[in-house]
Amino acid sequence: MSDEALRNRAYWDSKSDEYQRRHRAFIGQGEPRWGVWQIPESELQVLGDVARKDVLELGCGAAQWSILLANAGARPVGLDNSERQLEHARKLMSEAGVDFPLVHASAETVPLPDETFDVVFCDHGAFTFADPYRVVPEAARLLRPGGILAFSHLSAIALICQNPENDWNVEPKLHLDYFGMHEVSDGEVVEYQLPYGGWIRLFRANGLTVEDLIEPRPSAAATSTYWNEEGREWARRWPSESIWKARKRV
Amino acid sequence: MSISEDLRRNRAAWTKANERYTDARAPEAWAREEIEWGTYGVPEDELKVIGEVADKDVIELGCGTAYFSAWLARRGARPVGVDITPAQLETARRMQAETGIAFPLVEADAAEVPLPDASFDLALSEYGASIWVDPEKWIREAHRLLRPRGELVFLCNTPLSVMCMPDEGRVEERLLRSQFELGRMEWPGDDEGVEYHLGHGDMLRLLRRTGFEVLGLWELRAPESASDHSFYDFVPADWARRPAEEIWKACKRV
Repeated sequence: MSDEALRNRAYWDSKSDEYQRRHRAFIGQGEPRWGVWQIPESELQVLGDVARKDVLELGCGAAQWSILLANAGARPVGLDNSERQLEHARKLMSEAGVDFPLVHASAETVPLPDETFDVVFCDHGAFTFADPYRVVPEAARLLRPGGILAFSHLSAIALICQNPENDWNVEPKLHLDYFGMHEVSDGEVVEYQLPYGGWIRLFRANGLTVEDLIEPRPSAAATSTYWNEEGREWARRWPSESIWKARKRV
Repeated sequence: MSISEDLRRNRAAWTKANERYTDARAPEAWAREEIEWGTYGVPEDELKVIGEVADKDVIELGCGTAYFSAWLARRGARPVGVDITPAQLETARRMQAETGIAFPLVEADAAEVPLPDASFDLALSEYGASIWVDPEKWIREAHRLLRPRGELVFLCNTPLSVMCMPDEGRVEERLLRSQFELGRMEWPGDDEGVEYHLGHGDMLRLLRRTGFEVLGLWELRAPESASDHSFYDFVPADWARRPAEEIWKACKRV
Protein backbone atom coordinates (compact mmCIF):
# COMPACT_ATOMS: atom_id res chain seq x y z
CA MET A 1 0.00 0.00 0.00
CA SER A 2 1.10 3.54 -0.67
CA ASP A 3 2.06 5.85 2.21
CA GLU A 4 -1.03 7.91 1.45
CA ALA A 5 -3.31 4.86 1.63
CA LEU A 6 -1.75 3.90 4.97
CA ARG A 7 -2.21 7.43 6.24
CA ASN A 8 -5.85 7.48 5.18
CA ARG A 9 -6.39 4.07 6.78
CA ALA A 10 -5.04 5.40 10.07
CA TYR A 11 -7.14 8.53 9.70
CA TRP A 12 -10.38 6.63 9.14
CA ASP A 13 -9.62 4.08 11.87
CA SER A 14 -9.26 6.95 14.31
CA LYS A 15 -12.22 9.03 13.03
CA SER A 16 -14.71 6.26 12.32
CA ASP A 17 -16.53 6.20 15.68
CA GLU A 18 -16.96 9.95 15.78
CA TYR A 19 -18.03 10.04 12.11
CA GLN A 20 -20.65 7.32 12.52
CA ARG A 21 -22.00 8.88 15.72
CA ARG A 22 -22.27 12.28 14.10
CA HIS A 23 -23.99 11.23 10.86
CA ARG A 24 -25.87 8.11 12.04
CA ALA A 25 -29.35 9.62 11.93
CA PHE A 26 -28.74 11.55 8.72
CA ILE A 27 -27.39 8.93 6.28
CA GLY A 28 -28.54 5.46 5.28
CA GLN A 29 -32.17 6.02 6.20
CA GLY A 30 -35.15 4.73 4.22
CA GLU A 31 -33.82 4.78 0.65
CA PRO A 32 -30.44 5.31 -1.01
CA ARG A 33 -29.51 8.98 -1.04
CA TRP A 34 -26.49 10.83 -2.42
CA GLY A 35 -24.01 12.96 -0.62
CA VAL A 36 -23.91 15.88 1.69
CA TRP A 37 -27.51 16.86 0.95
CA GLN A 38 -28.87 13.29 0.87
CA ILE A 39 -30.65 13.71 -2.45
CA PRO A 40 -32.62 10.51 -3.21
CA GLU A 41 -31.28 8.10 -5.83
CA SER A 42 -34.92 7.70 -6.88
CA GLU A 43 -34.76 11.36 -7.98
CA LEU A 44 -31.30 11.34 -9.58
CA GLN A 45 -31.50 7.84 -11.12
CA VAL A 46 -27.75 7.34 -11.31
CA LEU A 47 -27.57 3.59 -10.69
CA GLY A 48 -31.02 2.65 -11.97
CA ASP A 49 -32.45 -0.76 -11.11
CA VAL A 50 -29.90 -2.75 -9.12
CA ALA A 51 -31.93 -5.93 -8.61
CA ARG A 52 -29.83 -9.07 -9.19
CA LYS A 53 -26.81 -6.95 -10.05
CA ASP A 54 -23.32 -7.45 -8.67
CA VAL A 55 -22.44 -4.15 -7.03
CA LEU A 56 -19.11 -3.09 -5.52
CA GLU A 57 -19.03 -0.13 -3.15
CA LEU A 58 -15.52 1.35 -3.05
CA GLY A 59 -15.15 3.02 0.31
CA CYS A 60 -18.36 1.75 1.88
CA GLY A 61 -17.80 3.11 5.39
CA ALA A 62 -20.49 1.52 7.58
CA ALA A 63 -22.08 0.16 4.35
CA GLN A 64 -25.25 2.24 4.67
CA TRP A 65 -25.59 2.33 0.86
CA SER A 66 -24.85 -1.34 0.28
CA ILE A 67 -27.39 -2.35 2.94
CA LEU A 68 -30.11 -0.37 1.16
CA LEU A 69 -29.06 -1.78 -2.21
CA ALA A 70 -29.17 -5.31 -0.77
CA ASN A 71 -32.73 -4.57 0.34
CA ALA A 72 -33.44 -3.51 -3.27
CA GLY A 73 -32.29 -6.92 -4.52
CA ALA A 74 -28.66 -6.18 -5.40
CA ARG A 75 -25.73 -8.48 -4.55
CA PRO A 76 -23.35 -5.97 -2.98
CA VAL A 77 -19.76 -6.23 -1.86
CA GLY A 78 -18.52 -3.49 0.46
CA LEU A 79 -14.87 -2.50 0.42
CA ASP A 80 -13.22 -0.13 2.83
CA ASN A 81 -9.66 0.76 3.74
CA SER A 82 -10.57 1.12 7.43
CA GLU A 83 -11.16 -1.94 9.60
CA ARG A 84 -12.98 0.20 12.16
CA GLN A 85 -15.44 1.37 9.49
CA LEU A 86 -16.06 -2.27 8.55
CA GLU A 87 -16.78 -3.10 12.19
CA HIS A 88 -19.51 -0.47 12.06
CA ALA A 89 -20.71 -2.01 8.80
CA ARG A 90 -20.99 -5.48 10.38
CA LYS A 91 -23.06 -4.02 13.19
CA LEU A 92 -25.46 -2.17 10.85
CA MET A 93 -25.76 -5.25 8.61
CA SER A 94 -26.72 -7.43 11.51
CA GLU A 95 -29.26 -4.85 12.71
CA ALA A 96 -30.72 -4.73 9.18
CA GLY A 97 -30.70 -8.51 8.90
CA VAL A 98 -28.67 -8.55 5.67
CA ASP A 99 -25.41 -10.23 4.84
CA PHE A 100 -22.88 -9.68 2.07
CA PRO A 101 -19.10 -9.76 1.74
CA LEU A 102 -16.96 -6.98 3.21
CA VAL A 103 -13.39 -6.53 1.99
CA HIS A 104 -10.70 -4.74 3.96
CA ALA A 105 -8.44 -3.19 1.32
CA SER A 106 -7.44 -0.02 -0.41
CA ALA A 107 -9.48 0.69 -3.53
CA GLU A 108 -6.14 1.22 -5.28
CA THR A 109 -5.49 -2.53 -5.15
CA VAL A 110 -8.71 -4.52 -4.91
CA PRO A 111 -8.23 -8.27 -4.23
CA LEU A 112 -11.09 -9.34 -6.51
CA PRO A 113 -11.10 -10.82 -10.03
CA ASP A 114 -11.55 -8.93 -13.33
CA GLU A 115 -14.99 -8.28 -14.80
CA THR A 116 -17.08 -9.42 -11.85
CA PHE A 117 -19.34 -6.40 -11.23
CA ASP A 118 -22.21 -4.69 -13.04
CA VAL A 119 -21.89 -1.57 -10.91
CA VAL A 120 -18.85 -0.07 -9.17
CA PHE A 121 -19.77 2.99 -7.16
CA CYS A 122 -19.31 5.08 -4.09
CA ASP A 123 -20.85 8.07 -2.41
CA HIS A 124 -17.96 10.24 -1.14
CA GLY A 125 -15.70 7.19 -0.88
CA ALA A 126 -12.61 5.93 -2.63
CA PHE A 127 -12.69 8.55 -5.38
CA THR A 128 -11.99 11.10 -2.66
CA PHE A 129 -9.58 9.15 -0.46
CA ALA A 130 -7.62 7.09 -2.98
CA ASP A 131 -5.59 8.09 -6.01
CA PRO A 132 -7.84 8.39 -9.07
CA TYR A 133 -4.98 7.30 -11.33
CA ARG A 134 -5.07 3.97 -9.48
CA VAL A 135 -8.77 3.67 -8.63
CA VAL A 136 -10.25 4.39 -12.06
CA PRO A 137 -8.16 1.62 -13.71
CA GLU A 138 -9.17 -0.73 -10.87
CA ALA A 139 -12.85 0.11 -11.32
CA ALA A 140 -12.57 -0.42 -15.09
CA ARG A 141 -10.86 -3.78 -14.49
CA LEU A 142 -13.53 -4.94 -12.05
CA LEU A 143 -16.49 -3.98 -14.26
CA ARG A 144 -18.10 -6.26 -16.80
CA PRO A 145 -18.43 -4.78 -20.30
CA GLY A 146 -21.44 -2.47 -20.23
CA GLY A 147 -21.14 -2.04 -16.46
CA ILE A 148 -21.51 1.29 -14.70
CA LEU A 149 -19.02 3.32 -12.72
CA ALA A 150 -20.68 6.04 -10.63
CA PHE A 151 -19.39 8.12 -7.77
CA SER A 152 -19.96 11.35 -5.94
CA HIS A 153 -17.36 13.63 -4.45
CA LEU A 154 -16.78 17.21 -3.40
CA SER A 155 -16.78 19.20 -6.65
CA ALA A 156 -13.49 20.50 -8.01
CA ILE A 157 -14.85 24.03 -7.80
CA ALA A 158 -15.82 23.61 -4.13
CA LEU A 159 -12.41 22.12 -3.44
CA ILE A 160 -10.50 25.12 -4.79
CA CYS A 161 -12.81 27.47 -2.87
CA GLN A 162 -11.85 25.90 0.48
CA ASN A 163 -9.90 28.26 2.67
CA PRO A 164 -7.04 26.46 4.47
CA GLU A 165 -6.77 29.49 6.78
CA ASN A 166 -10.42 29.19 7.77
CA ASP A 167 -10.66 25.55 8.79
CA TRP A 168 -11.03 24.54 5.11
CA ASN A 169 -14.48 26.09 4.94
CA VAL A 170 -15.77 26.82 1.47
CA GLU A 171 -15.90 30.51 0.49
CA PRO A 172 -16.91 32.38 -2.67
CA LYS A 173 -13.22 32.89 -3.37
CA LEU A 174 -10.59 31.01 -5.36
CA HIS A 175 -8.05 29.79 -2.80
CA LEU A 176 -6.32 26.72 -4.22
CA ASP A 177 -4.53 26.14 -7.51
CA TYR A 178 -6.89 24.40 -9.95
CA PHE A 179 -4.19 22.94 -12.16
CA GLY A 180 -2.20 21.92 -9.10
CA MET A 181 -4.99 19.56 -8.04
CA HIS A 182 -4.45 15.88 -7.59
CA GLU A 183 -3.46 15.32 -3.98
CA VAL A 184 -4.73 17.84 -1.45
CA SER A 185 -3.84 17.33 2.18
CA ASP A 186 -4.44 19.18 5.43
CA GLY A 187 -1.61 17.12 6.94
CA GLU A 188 -3.96 14.58 8.50
CA VAL A 189 -5.83 13.02 5.60
CA VAL A 190 -5.05 12.96 1.87
CA GLU A 191 -7.87 13.81 -0.51
CA TYR A 192 -7.80 13.60 -4.28
CA GLN A 193 -9.43 15.63 -7.02
CA LEU A 194 -8.73 16.31 -10.68
CA PRO A 195 -9.80 19.03 -13.09
CA TYR A 196 -13.06 18.17 -14.86
CA GLY A 197 -11.19 17.53 -18.10
CA GLY A 198 -8.71 15.33 -16.23
CA TRP A 199 -11.48 13.00 -15.09
CA ILE A 200 -12.90 12.71 -18.62
CA ARG A 201 -9.43 11.90 -19.98
CA LEU A 202 -8.88 9.29 -17.27
CA PHE A 203 -12.25 7.59 -17.88
CA ARG A 204 -11.69 7.40 -21.61
CA ALA A 205 -8.11 6.16 -21.24
CA ASN A 206 -9.55 3.25 -19.24
CA GLY A 207 -12.24 2.27 -21.73
CA LEU A 208 -15.08 4.10 -20.01
CA THR A 209 -17.61 6.27 -21.85
CA VAL A 210 -18.75 9.33 -19.90
CA GLU A 211 -22.52 9.30 -19.49
CA ASP A 212 -23.33 11.97 -16.96
CA LEU A 213 -22.07 14.63 -14.63
CA ILE A 214 -24.70 15.61 -12.11
CA GLU A 215 -24.12 18.75 -10.10
CA PRO A 216 -26.73 18.51 -7.35
CA ARG A 217 -28.20 21.61 -5.77
CA PRO A 218 -29.68 21.48 -2.26
CA SER A 219 -33.15 22.88 -1.66
CA ALA A 220 -33.43 26.22 0.12
CA ALA A 221 -34.45 24.43 3.32
CA ALA A 222 -31.90 21.60 3.11
CA THR A 223 -30.01 20.66 6.24
CA SER A 224 -26.96 18.47 6.58
CA THR A 225 -24.74 17.04 9.28
CA TYR A 226 -21.80 17.74 6.93
CA TRP A 227 -22.28 21.37 5.87
CA ASN A 228 -23.57 24.28 7.93
CA GLU A 229 -26.04 26.94 6.77
CA GLU A 230 -23.32 29.11 5.33
CA GLY A 231 -22.19 26.11 3.31
CA ARG A 232 -25.73 25.50 2.14
CA GLU A 233 -25.96 29.07 0.86
CA TRP A 234 -22.72 28.50 -1.07
CA ALA A 235 -24.11 25.23 -2.42
CA ARG A 236 -27.31 26.96 -3.52
CA ARG A 237 -25.19 29.03 -5.91
CA TRP A 238 -22.35 26.71 -6.94
CA PRO A 239 -22.03 22.96 -7.27
CA SER A 240 -20.85 21.57 -3.94
CA GLU A 241 -20.66 18.04 -5.29
CA SER A 242 -20.23 16.19 -8.55
CA ILE A 243 -21.68 12.81 -9.41
CA TRP A 244 -19.93 11.18 -12.37
CA LYS A 245 -21.36 8.28 -14.31
CA ALA A 246 -19.41 6.32 -16.90
CA ARG A 247 -19.90 2.98 -18.63
CA LYS A 248 -17.37 0.36 -19.63
CA ARG A 249 -17.34 0.01 -23.39
CA VAL A 250 -18.61 -3.30 -24.74
CA MET B 1 -33.30 35.51 -43.90
CA SER B 2 -35.21 36.56 -40.84
CA ILE B 3 -33.12 36.84 -37.72
CA SER B 4 -33.94 37.18 -34.07
CA GLU B 5 -33.33 40.23 -31.92
CA ASP B 6 -30.45 38.41 -30.20
CA LEU B 7 -28.76 37.73 -33.53
CA ARG B 8 -29.26 41.34 -34.55
CA ARG B 9 -27.49 42.41 -31.36
CA ASN B 10 -24.63 39.98 -31.88
CA ARG B 11 -24.26 41.07 -35.48
CA ALA B 12 -24.08 44.70 -34.36
CA ALA B 13 -21.52 43.85 -31.65
CA TRP B 14 -19.30 41.96 -34.12
CA THR B 15 -19.65 44.60 -36.82
CA LYS B 16 -18.23 47.04 -34.31
CA ALA B 17 -15.55 44.61 -33.07
CA ASN B 18 -14.52 44.02 -36.67
CA GLU B 19 -14.03 47.75 -37.19
CA ARG B 20 -12.08 48.09 -33.97
CA TYR B 21 -10.01 44.91 -34.06
CA THR B 22 -10.72 41.76 -36.09
CA ASP B 23 -10.46 43.35 -39.54
CA ALA B 24 -7.04 44.88 -38.85
CA ARG B 25 -5.83 41.69 -37.17
CA ALA B 26 -6.99 39.37 -39.97
CA PRO B 27 -3.73 39.44 -42.05
CA GLU B 28 -1.65 38.39 -39.04
CA ALA B 29 -4.19 35.75 -37.98
CA TRP B 30 -4.43 34.28 -41.48
CA ALA B 31 -0.64 34.22 -41.87
CA ARG B 32 0.00 32.23 -38.70
CA GLU B 33 1.64 28.87 -39.38
CA GLU B 34 0.69 27.16 -36.14
CA ILE B 35 -2.86 26.40 -35.04
CA GLU B 36 -3.37 28.03 -31.66
CA TRP B 37 -6.20 27.89 -29.15
CA GLY B 38 -7.67 30.72 -27.16
CA THR B 39 -6.71 34.19 -26.09
CA TYR B 40 -3.24 33.09 -24.98
CA GLY B 41 -2.44 30.91 -27.95
CA VAL B 42 -2.00 27.38 -26.61
CA PRO B 43 -0.57 25.39 -29.55
CA GLU B 44 -2.65 22.64 -31.15
CA ASP B 45 0.60 20.68 -31.49
CA GLU B 46 0.70 20.52 -27.70
CA LEU B 47 -2.99 19.75 -27.12
CA LYS B 48 -3.69 17.56 -30.18
CA VAL B 49 -7.43 18.22 -30.11
CA ILE B 50 -8.16 18.23 -33.83
CA GLY B 51 -5.48 15.90 -35.17
CA GLU B 52 -5.25 15.19 -38.90
CA VAL B 53 -7.65 17.26 -41.01
CA ALA B 54 -6.46 16.55 -44.56
CA ASP B 55 -9.36 15.72 -46.90
CA LYS B 56 -11.93 16.36 -44.20
CA ASP B 57 -15.08 18.39 -44.80
CA VAL B 58 -15.12 20.98 -42.05
CA ILE B 59 -17.83 23.45 -41.10
CA GLU B 60 -16.84 26.38 -38.91
CA LEU B 61 -19.87 27.72 -37.07
CA GLY B 62 -19.34 31.38 -36.32
CA CYS B 63 -16.13 31.75 -38.31
CA GLY B 64 -15.73 35.54 -37.97
CA THR B 65 -12.88 36.49 -40.29
CA ALA B 66 -12.33 32.75 -40.92
CA TYR B 67 -8.66 32.50 -39.94
CA PHE B 68 -9.25 29.13 -38.28
CA SER B 69 -10.78 27.75 -41.48
CA ALA B 70 -7.76 29.14 -43.36
CA TRP B 71 -5.41 27.25 -41.01
CA LEU B 72 -7.32 24.05 -41.72
CA ALA B 73 -7.47 24.69 -45.48
CA ARG B 74 -3.68 25.04 -45.47
CA ARG B 75 -3.53 21.55 -43.93
CA GLY B 76 -5.62 20.03 -46.69
CA ALA B 77 -9.11 20.30 -45.18
CA ARG B 78 -12.15 21.51 -47.14
CA PRO B 79 -13.67 24.12 -44.83
CA VAL B 80 -16.91 26.05 -45.09
CA GLY B 81 -17.19 29.17 -42.95
CA VAL B 82 -20.56 30.23 -41.55
CA ASP B 83 -21.14 33.55 -39.84
CA ILE B 84 -23.97 35.97 -39.16
CA THR B 85 -21.92 39.16 -39.53
CA PRO B 86 -21.51 40.41 -43.13
CA ALA B 87 -18.64 42.74 -42.19
CA GLN B 88 -16.52 39.86 -40.90
CA LEU B 89 -17.30 37.74 -43.95
CA GLU B 90 -16.25 40.70 -46.08
CA THR B 91 -12.90 40.72 -44.29
CA ALA B 92 -12.66 36.95 -44.80
CA ARG B 93 -13.29 37.35 -48.55
CA ARG B 94 -10.62 40.02 -48.80
CA MET B 95 -8.17 37.70 -47.04
CA GLN B 96 -9.08 34.87 -49.40
CA ALA B 97 -8.29 37.12 -52.36
CA GLU B 98 -5.00 38.24 -50.80
CA THR B 99 -3.79 34.78 -49.79
CA GLY B 100 -5.31 32.66 -52.54
CA ILE B 101 -6.79 30.34 -49.89
CA ALA B 102 -10.37 29.93 -51.05
CA PHE B 103 -13.32 28.14 -49.49
CA PRO B 104 -17.06 28.80 -49.29
CA LEU B 105 -18.35 31.44 -46.87
CA VAL B 106 -22.01 31.38 -45.94
CA GLU B 107 -23.91 34.15 -44.22
CA ALA B 108 -26.22 32.31 -41.87
CA ASP B 109 -27.31 31.73 -38.29
CA ALA B 110 -25.37 28.74 -36.93
CA ALA B 111 -28.66 27.42 -35.56
CA GLU B 112 -30.12 27.28 -39.08
CA VAL B 113 -27.47 26.48 -41.66
CA PRO B 114 -28.67 26.15 -45.28
CA LEU B 115 -26.58 23.06 -45.97
CA PRO B 116 -27.55 19.38 -46.22
CA ASP B 117 -27.57 16.78 -43.43
CA ALA B 118 -24.54 14.58 -42.79
CA SER B 119 -22.16 16.47 -45.05
CA PHE B 120 -19.23 17.23 -42.70
CA ASP B 121 -16.56 15.27 -40.85
CA LEU B 122 -15.76 18.04 -38.39
CA ALA B 123 -17.89 20.86 -36.98
CA LEU B 124 -15.79 23.51 -35.33
CA SER B 125 -16.50 26.62 -33.34
CA GLU B 126 -13.75 28.74 -31.87
CA TYR B 127 -15.62 31.40 -29.87
CA GLY B 128 -18.31 31.46 -32.49
CA ALA B 129 -21.62 29.72 -32.14
CA SER B 130 -20.00 28.14 -29.07
CA ILE B 131 -20.81 31.20 -26.98
CA TRP B 132 -23.02 33.40 -29.18
CA VAL B 133 -25.82 31.00 -30.11
CA ASP B 134 -28.22 29.04 -27.92
CA PRO B 135 -26.39 25.72 -27.36
CA GLU B 136 -29.62 23.74 -27.50
CA LYS B 137 -29.99 24.97 -31.07
CA TRP B 138 -26.51 25.12 -32.55
CA ILE B 139 -25.33 21.82 -31.08
CA ARG B 140 -28.39 20.11 -32.55
CA GLU B 141 -27.60 21.81 -35.87
CA ALA B 142 -23.97 20.64 -35.72
CA HIS B 143 -25.24 17.13 -35.07
CA ARG B 144 -27.46 17.33 -38.15
CA LEU B 145 -24.61 18.59 -40.33
CA LEU B 146 -22.14 15.90 -39.23
CA ARG B 147 -21.68 12.48 -40.72
CA PRO B 148 -21.90 9.52 -38.33
CA ARG B 149 -18.72 9.46 -36.16
CA GLY B 150 -18.10 13.05 -37.27
CA GLU B 151 -16.50 15.24 -34.63
CA LEU B 152 -17.60 18.41 -32.89
CA VAL B 153 -14.87 20.63 -31.42
CA PHE B 154 -15.56 23.96 -29.75
CA LEU B 155 -13.77 26.55 -27.66
CA CYS B 156 -15.62 28.55 -25.02
CA ASN B 157 -15.06 30.33 -21.71
CA THR B 158 -14.91 28.10 -18.65
CA PRO B 159 -17.86 28.24 -16.27
CA LEU B 160 -15.33 29.26 -13.60
CA SER B 161 -14.24 32.38 -15.48
CA VAL B 162 -17.83 33.37 -16.25
CA MET B 163 -18.80 32.95 -12.60
CA CYS B 164 -15.89 35.20 -11.57
CA MET B 165 -16.72 37.87 -14.17
CA PRO B 166 -18.35 41.06 -12.89
CA ASP B 167 -20.91 42.87 -15.02
CA GLU B 168 -18.23 45.36 -15.92
CA GLY B 169 -14.45 45.22 -15.73
CA ARG B 170 -12.03 42.35 -15.39
CA VAL B 171 -12.43 38.87 -14.02
CA GLU B 172 -11.98 38.60 -10.24
CA GLU B 173 -10.61 35.96 -7.90
CA ARG B 174 -13.98 35.31 -6.35
CA LEU B 175 -17.27 33.81 -7.42
CA LEU B 176 -19.74 36.53 -8.35
CA ARG B 177 -22.55 34.79 -10.19
CA SER B 178 -24.26 31.49 -9.52
CA GLN B 179 -23.56 28.51 -11.78
CA PHE B 180 -27.23 27.61 -11.51
CA GLU B 181 -28.14 30.88 -13.21
CA LEU B 182 -25.85 30.52 -16.22
CA GLY B 183 -27.41 30.08 -19.64
CA ARG B 184 -28.42 33.10 -21.70
CA MET B 185 -26.47 36.15 -20.54
CA GLU B 186 -26.56 39.81 -21.45
CA TRP B 187 -23.62 41.96 -20.51
CA PRO B 188 -24.39 45.61 -19.91
CA GLY B 189 -23.12 48.17 -22.40
CA ASP B 190 -24.03 49.08 -25.97
CA ASP B 191 -21.33 47.04 -27.66
CA GLU B 192 -22.17 43.79 -26.03
CA GLY B 193 -24.01 40.88 -27.51
CA VAL B 194 -25.97 38.00 -26.05
CA GLU B 195 -23.92 35.08 -24.82
CA TYR B 196 -24.61 31.56 -23.61
CA HIS B 197 -22.58 29.74 -20.98
CA LEU B 198 -23.25 26.41 -19.32
CA GLY B 199 -21.78 24.54 -16.37
CA HIS B 200 -19.87 21.35 -17.15
CA GLY B 201 -22.69 19.04 -16.11
CA ASP B 202 -25.27 20.86 -18.21
CA MET B 203 -22.98 20.92 -21.25
CA LEU B 204 -22.09 17.26 -20.91
CA ARG B 205 -25.74 16.31 -20.56
CA LEU B 206 -26.73 18.46 -23.55
CA LEU B 207 -24.09 16.80 -25.73
CA ARG B 208 -25.26 13.33 -24.69
CA ARG B 209 -28.92 14.18 -25.16
CA THR B 210 -28.24 15.53 -28.65
CA GLY B 211 -26.56 12.29 -29.70
CA PHE B 212 -22.89 12.96 -29.07
CA GLU B 213 -20.32 10.94 -27.19
CA VAL B 214 -17.96 13.15 -25.19
CA LEU B 215 -14.34 12.53 -26.22
CA GLY B 216 -12.55 15.17 -24.21
CA LEU B 217 -12.45 18.46 -22.36
CA TRP B 218 -9.26 20.49 -22.52
CA GLU B 219 -9.11 23.23 -19.90
CA LEU B 220 -6.55 25.73 -21.17
CA ARG B 221 -3.83 27.25 -19.08
CA ALA B 222 -2.10 30.40 -20.34
CA PRO B 223 1.60 29.71 -21.04
CA GLU B 224 4.06 31.19 -18.51
CA SER B 225 5.29 33.57 -21.20
CA ALA B 226 1.80 34.95 -21.94
CA SER B 227 1.13 38.64 -21.41
CA ASP B 228 -2.23 40.40 -21.28
CA HIS B 229 -4.19 40.55 -24.53
CA SER B 230 -4.51 44.01 -26.06
CA PHE B 231 -8.16 43.70 -27.13
CA TYR B 232 -9.72 40.77 -25.23
CA ASP B 233 -8.70 42.19 -21.86
CA PHE B 234 -11.42 40.69 -19.62
CA VAL B 235 -9.16 37.89 -18.41
CA PRO B 236 -5.55 38.94 -17.71
CA ALA B 237 -2.79 36.39 -18.33
CA ASP B 238 -2.25 35.84 -14.60
CA TRP B 239 -5.83 34.80 -14.03
CA ALA B 240 -5.64 32.57 -17.11
CA ARG B 241 -3.20 30.29 -15.26
CA ARG B 242 -6.50 29.12 -13.91
CA PRO B 243 -8.80 27.61 -16.49
CA ALA B 244 -10.34 30.55 -18.34
CA GLU B 245 -11.05 28.79 -21.62
CA GLU B 246 -11.84 25.23 -22.55
CA ILE B 247 -12.29 23.01 -25.56
CA TRP B 248 -14.93 20.31 -25.75
CA LYS B 249 -14.63 17.46 -28.22
CA ALA B 250 -17.41 15.02 -29.00
CA CYS B 251 -18.39 12.68 -31.80
CA LYS B 252 -21.71 11.86 -33.37
CA ARG B 253 -22.88 8.52 -32.03
CA VAL B 254 -23.92 5.89 -34.54
